[in-house]
Amino acid sequence: MTKRLSGVYAAYLVFAVIFFGPVLFMLWSSLRNNVDITGSLFNLASPLTLDNFTNLFERFEFGRYIANSLIVAGGSTILGLVLGAPAAYVIVRRKLATLGFVTLLARMAPGVLFVLPLFVLSIRIGGPDSVALNYTLLIVAHLIITLPLCIWLLVPFFEEIPISIEESTLIDGANAWQRFRRIALPLALPGLSVALTLSFVFSWNYFLFALALANERTLPLTVIAFNFIGQGSNDFGGLMAASTLISAPALLLTIFAQRWLVRGITGGAVK
Amino acid sequence: MTKPPAASGSSSGEPGAGAPPPRRRRVDPTARGVWPFALPAVLVTAVLVLVPIAYTIWLSVSDRQSDGTNSGFLGFANYAEMFGNPQFWNSLKVTLFLFVVCLLVETVLGLALGYVMSLDVPGRRIFQGMMLIPAITASVAVGLVWLLIMDPSLGAANQILAKVGIDPVVWLGDPDIAPWSIALVDIWQWTPFMALIISAGIRSLPEEPFEAAALDGASGWRTAWNIGLPLLRPVLTVAMLLRTVDLVRFFDTIYIMTQGGPVNSTNTLNVYGYHAGFVDNEPSYAATLQIALLVLVIVIAGVFTWFRQRAAR
Repeated sequence: MTKRLSGVYAAYLVFAVIFFGPVLFMLWSSLRNNVDITGSLFNLASPLTLDNFTNLFERFEFGRYIANSLIVAGGSTILGLVLGAPAAYVIVRRKLATLGFVTLLARMAPGVLFVLPLFVLSIRIGGPDSVALNYTLLIVAHLIITLPLCIWLLVPFFEEIPISIEESTLIDGANAWQRFRRIALPLALPGLSVALTLSFVFSWNYFLFALALANERTLPLTVIAFNFIGQGSNDFGGLMAASTLISAPALLLTIFAQRWLVRGITGGAVK
Repeated sequence: MTKPPAASGSSSGEPGAGAPPPRRRRVDPTARGVWPFALPAVLVTAVLVLVPIAYTIWLSVSDRQSDGTNSGFLGFANYAEMFGNPQFWNSLKVTLFLFVVCLLVETVLGLALGYVMSLDVPGRRIFQGMMLIPAITASVAVGLVWLLIMDPSLGAANQILAKVGIDPVVWLGDPDIAPWSIALVDIWQWTPFMALIISAGIRSLPEEPFEAAALDGASGWRTAWNIGLPLLRPVLTVAMLLRTVDLVRFFDTIYIMTQGGPVNSTNTLNVYGYHAGFVDNEPSYAATLQIALLVLVIVIAGVFTWFRQRAAR
């Protein structure tokens, strides 16, 4: 038995080096000097520093880009929940599976397909010049990610609410909206927090829409980090610090909400 | 990135979907009057998903100029241009190459890792958490890390190769190697995702067939091949389908790491389409490419679903 156990842990080690190694490399490099990163790769004793991070905030105003990411991811997540929660409730109560088809299209269509019309629209309404309009466009574009995700994550939570609880309120003459607001929604609260965190992270991570639609003032973290490479930056420590900031929500989520994450990324393929 | 194709699969993919059990359709009293709640979501989804698709189809059969004027219906001239363009065929080739290589390796490696992840040993959850990280990390971060690892002179990969006496590799600068390097990054990012689905599948397998095989004295490998794999097929197809849909639209890490280069060797259809629309400023041609890509995704996903339903029968 111990022999089998050590075999499993040997496999754990191999896979961890392969799949977790690069992540660890990113975290470690974000705390090292450029000279050490590129010069002495294996020198574990090289000094650690927070300079890369302070640089990002002082020289490149990363606070602003983080705020942009927060606005877009937060806005699209809240909107996704507000629209998605009632829809998920209807799907469960009326036993609809058909609404899935359109969301299926959203899952299969390439992102550029959405971006092209949005870009045309953006130019027509003056999106590139207006900060407020640009935020709105980005939030709406990110709804393509968050709305289907919210619906999909919330459905099982509404399914778990016993019908008898709601039936008992029928006698009191509560209408459909009151039943939803006062009974179903509070009972699905754990689901709401799951949908909130997951769709926030997925929206935060999303790259393409902002790449095509954002203007100078609304650039989120993902796109500014990408622009860094375009400028031929050899500031590897800075790039790794930026990557670490971008990955932070995902890393926190893995630590605190692993079980729901599994459901979120596999999209219901795993119960 | 998270909408399950199971959405439609769950209604049609179940075995015996053709003959539902004779269940009385009880009108649930709590279902009355809830309809309007779905209206905003349905409207928004329609506007966000169907309108762009319709507009893109219109773009593809008309001639929008970069200055925003559109000279109107054009028939299939854009499609003719696309099929006559060697660039398109190159992109199709690159897309299919990455699709086949990544899916194959991710499935095989995913089976191995999935098996390890399914075993009940102390620390399983922590290990699973570590394996989750590549799939949920933003592709920008993934691209940046791998750019540093694959840097020709200062990168970690070549430094490690040098330690074991292998000449440095030009990971992203050589058109013959770059597609493989991109495949490597995708395999790194998504194998654990495959493994996650597979390990959940393994953990929900019935135990009886395996016990019976053990009693018959069958070897571990034979049991896995003859009993485990067939039982796992439905889960495996779902995992492969999810990856397929993403691989055919491959964009993020490529755009971040090579922008389709060198010499178009990593220029997938989606990257090519993005370039046509946003760099070359040819919206109508870009739209045509996107429609071609959408058709390709639907065809490949359709073939998969068809296989899945046939297997379920």
